[in-house]
Amino acid sequence: MSVSTSAATVPAAPTSAAAGPPRSLWSDARRRLACNRAAVASAGMLAFVVLACFAAPWWPGLADPAAQDLRLGAALPTITHPFGTDELGRDLLARVLYGGRISLLVGLVGTLVSLLVGVSWGAVAGYAGGKLDEFMMRTVDVLYALPNIFLVILLMVFFSRSLLMLFVALGLVQWLTMARIVRGQVLTLKRQTFVEAARALGAGDRSIVFRHIVPNTLGPVIVYATLTVPAVILQEAFLSFLGLGVQPPDASWGTLIADGARVMALFPWLVVFPGLALSLTLLAFNFMGDGLRDALDPQDKQPGR
Amino acid sequence: MTRYVVRRMLLFVPTLWVIATLTFFLMRLAPGGPFNAEREIPQAARAALAQKYGLDRPLGVQYVTFLARAARLDFGPSYKFPARQVREIILEGFPVSAELGGWALLVALLAGIPLGVIAAQRQNTAADTAVMAAALAGISIPSFVLGPLLVLVFSLGLYWLPPALWEGPQSRVLPVLTLAAAYVAYVARLTRAGMLEVLRQDFIRTARAKGLPERVVVLKHALRLGLLPVLSYLGPAAAAIIMGSLVVEQVFALPGLGRYLVYGAFNRDYTLVMGVVLFYAAFLMALNLLVDLAYAWLDPRVELK
Amino acid sequence: MLSCGMRRSLSWVAPVLAAVLTGCTPGGDGTVPSAAGGPRYFGSVRPPRGNVLRFNNGAEPETIDPALVSGQSDGRLARALFEGLATCDPRTLEPRPGQAARWETSADGLTWTFHLRPGLVWSDDVPLTARDFVWSWLRVLRPATAARNASLLHAIAGAEDFNRGTAPDSSRVGLSAPDDTTLVVRLASPVPYLLQLAAYPTWLPVPRHAVERWGERWTRPGHLVSNGAFVLERWRQNDRFELARNPRYRDAARVRLDRVVAYSVDDLSTSSNLYQSGRLDWNTSGYVPSPFVPCLRGKADFRSAPFQAVYFYSMNVTRRPFDDVRVRRALNLAVDRDAIARDLLKGTRAPWGRLTPQGYPGYPAPPALGHDPARAREFLAQAGYPGGQGFPKISILFSTSEDHRRIAEAVQAMWTKELGIPVELRNMEWGSTLQATTTLQYDVARRSWIGDYLDPGTFLEIMRGGDGNNRTGWSDPRYDRLLLAARNESDPAERLSLLGEAESLLLADGPVIPIYHYSTVELVKPYVRGLWSNALDTHPLEDVWIDHAWRPGSRLAAERRHGPVAERMVPLLGHRAVQALRPPAPAPARPAASGPGAAAAASTPSTASHGPRRP
Repeated sequence: MSVSTSAATVPAAPTSAAAGPPRSLWSDARRRLACNRAAVASAGMLAFVVLACFAAPWWPGLADPAAQDLRLGAALPTITHPFGTDELGRDLLARVLYGGRISLLVGLVGTLVSLLVGVSWGAVAGYAGGKLDEFMMRTVDVLYALPNIFLVILLMVFFSRSLLMLFVALGLVQWLTMARIVRGQVLTLKRQTFVEAARALGAGDRSIVFRHIVPNTLGPVIVYATLTVPAVILQEAFLSFLGLGVQPPDASWGTLIADGARVMALFPWLVVFPGLALSLTLLAFNFMGDGLRDALDPQDKQPGR
Repeated sequence: MTRYVVRRMLLFVPTLWVIATLTFFLMRLAPGGPFNAEREIPQAARAALAQKYGLDRPLGVQYVTFLARAARLDFGPSYKFPARQVREIILEGFPVSAELGGWALLVALLAGIPLGVIAAQRQNTAADTAVMAAALAGISIPSFVLGPLLVLVFSLGLYWLPPALWEGPQSRVLPVLTLAAAYVAYVARLTRAGMLEVLRQDFIRTARAKGLPERVVVLKHALRLGLLPVLSYLGPAAAAIIMGSLVVEQVFALPGLGRYLVYGAFNRDYTLVMGVVLFYAAFLMALNLLVDLAYAWLDPRVELK
Repeated sequence: MLSCGMRRSLSWVAPVLAAVLTGCTPGGDGTVPSAAGGPRYFGSVRPPRGNVLRFNNGAEPETIDPALVSGQSDGRLARALFEGLATCDPRTLEPRPGQAARWETSADGLTWTFHLRPGLVWSDDVPLTARDFVWSWLRVLRPATAARNASLLHAIAGAEDFNRGTAPDSSRVGLSAPDDTTLVVRLASPVPYLLQLAAYPTWLPVPRHAVERWGERWTRPGHLVSNGAFVLERWRQNDRFELARNPRYRDAARVRLDRVVAYSVDDLSTSSNLYQSGRLDWNTSGYVPSPFVPCLRGKADFRSAPFQAVYFYSMNVTRRPFDDVRVRRALNLAVDRDAIARDLLKGTRAPWGRLTPQGYPGYPAPPALGHDPARAREFLAQAGYPGGQGFPKISILFSTSEDHRRIAEAVQAMWTKELGIPVELRNMEWGSTLQATTTLQYDVARRSWIGDYLDPGTFLEIMRGGDGNNRTGWSDPRYDRLLLAARNESDPAERLSLLGEAESLLLADGPVIPIYHYSTVELVKPYVRGLWSNALDTHPLEDVWIDHAWRPGSRLAAERRHGPVAERMVPLLGHRAVQALRPPAPAPARPAASGPGAAAAASTPSTASHGPRRP
């Protein structure tokens, strides 16, 4: 379920037709972003969620997420258990917070892996051109044709279901579109004058690619990365539904939701709270990603509309 | 054009070969064989089974035999369901998945495109945010939550629709809605991005200056180009829908192809897995080819090379 | 932010709506008050049109060839299509004559002579003779067939050798058919429960002419020929099987169902939903989600009975520290089975401390293993790990399932808390767990065993040294000797006491940690008659029929009008609103149609107009 942006349309090079004092791309973007209320609110919410989850071990008074109370069983939310308890009597609030750490970690690391692989691959392919480009992109095509969820399943089934494996497997299926986007960008950029200038100054190929071209592709890359995180988190949730995600007693939002959905008619809070956590986080990432895309789009000459 | 098509189709063969090889060896590497069961099979019986399916021959021989048979589209009987041929299983399951996916895609397009157009026209207003939020809600709620929720309300609550199985037109409704929910968002977002891009072009300004009503401008002039990103997404989207239908098929007990992939991996049902993977890969490549052709036809700026 | 605001308000409605919509409102402690005020049945109680039974058969069967059958869902279909020498009475599990009208045993119990009924035919009118039985059983035993349950035929003289491939051919197997209706079976050792075995799928006959003609594909509709109460009409993979009455069945007049539809739904929640919405008449055991059970207990369509199966953990004796019997005892005594059954399983299954299940008349069962943490700690200290110090980290292996995971987590917590030892969990999918247990690549693994017939031997045999189903590496010559003696013992009482001795040895020294005793838990609509719960979970379909004349009590007429779930919305919204919200229901059946007229009324489907989804 990878997201493809409008990869076919390559943004044209920024012209100097803007009226008013010259502004850099980044300050422009920042200003536009600041005016996008949805994006700002999302960023704020994300910051709060990330903080709350990663600081979970230090929250005062938070129950131990692994402590069972079999007699209590699944209970409605009360003061002691603000989110209620699950069927083993474990505090749901604690599990949601600790689960968030794992889900967010999976999302971030998976995206990082896909970033590293995808950007390098696409940049090299785009810059090199010719036969190497052809071969590298054909590989991407071939891998695209392989059903990626299947690859993940096989990897999880074959190798042990460690967290590390999960990161790697999920990241490895997301890099393909990233590679394509970056290659497209690089194809355009490498004809720019600044590249010729750098070459004239004696910069080697590797330095040109990684120090000059890649930073200029950052716009779409950041946007896509922001949109990949929720996709990875969601994919982990699907894997958990199949029983291949995070293993007990750890839990991610995905496992919490998958388990809760099974008893939704009886104990709805078990799916509502983790579901809300997941959905709001995903929404926030998506809004931020969209906002970033709008902000970084150099063609939008009307500031803060 | 014909040369392009032929060239693309020639590329199918090596791609399929690579995929077949990859999957073949991955399956063999996974621990466990297809004939493990809770009840032990006596040694002689195991040997007989292994011989019947050719598993006692060296790996290389198995591989070559497999390739030779696959070229004739003969994948043999499924290991887990020996009374059925893999080809037969695929032909029986594929129409269900295809119908489910087709309807879901149609719904996603019919709902997502108007939403995207509206959002593009009213960019950065409350309407934009609202529309995008509603669409994004689709991505943020996993289908294994949405499905049971819809069943709870419409099937067990109001008795309007069946909760599962694939019989009769009413049984299509809930699974299709569940599956389409996620893709509405993608389609909406891509339409919005594409429309935004197009609406800024000079020729649109000209059309407006000529005094054409906004509706005509949008629908007749802008939409054709604005939908290009959606079109290019259709290939991977259709494929993803067919794969993503795995969860929907599970929740609604639909006899589709998606489940065989996962269960095949779990059961080490080699023949079934190979058949389904290759079928899926071929389907996806054919779909991508069609999409590229359609893209070229719609956008005269694009050249097929 | 608008979107956040919208979702926050919706999040309040959902739990309330859900609580209202189901017939179950959870109390503060997760249990449910008795159903005195709630609807009496789980879901819609409208009978289907016609004499058709619709049930969920569970996961798609691997095969319905009786020789190869090894699971519950396979077996159910095989038994509906084929009939053996004897059948089971569904209530008492006593053997009844099936294809054989009568039988005799020799004095030493080693020779059985079966006399088949005259005039038996397959569903395509080909005559069925004793030679069909001989051919079918030899087919099972032939190594090339790779039948998983061939060991069930090893009671026959010479069968085991033939099956293992050590005999050159089948001539030494003790089967003969002197004429068309006589079958003589010579046994290797006395088997008092032979008639029970005769009802098991592996002992069912298969049509030689069809198998020889179609080979592996003989089980497809159109090719399959049966001798049981039904024939196979349609089979759609992962969807359903449709069976129709077999007019050539020897007792066709007794069969009242015209059709049977067996769905292959493997998801428990989906199965439960189908039952609730009235699309299934019978939700088979194993497909009722356990969290629902406390709520369903009070309903009239809920049925539960002890089932011949035990859930246990096995320890891999080839690995440290499980090779020390004191460690094994310590781990056993530290498990609080009662707490698991009471709190985790909510009383849906009985805690169990033995390997053999209950229900064997005359079996002197040894005392069950109990919960004694103090003694467990003593044993552990004696073994050299006082307080758990120095104990290596062990893992509990289980296959992906909600129930397995919860129990494993509970046991992990118990061992960590009571014994102070480090325990981790290992969750793999089914194929990998099987591989791991077979190749002894595990520490502690979750297992279960289902009895094939009503005798403790079927449970104790698996722990024989070297048995393929042992999978623990444990073997004790005393245990094996006892089992061998029991096998050769012809006096039933003596035999059972030998088995009892064997089991007490197993419980004291062996590698098993029994946890709970299975129960069958099923849902059966009130208009289905002839279906009873029993310890083997076997349900002959020839006695089942749909009672179209059934009516709920008059005070529940309202339930019929709206359906039990929508009826709960009435207090919120009022009758009119609920009526308006739903498609118009057909008028409820007139209660005047009771008594002698009911039979006539029942056969016309006018009252129970079960349209596609109209209630």
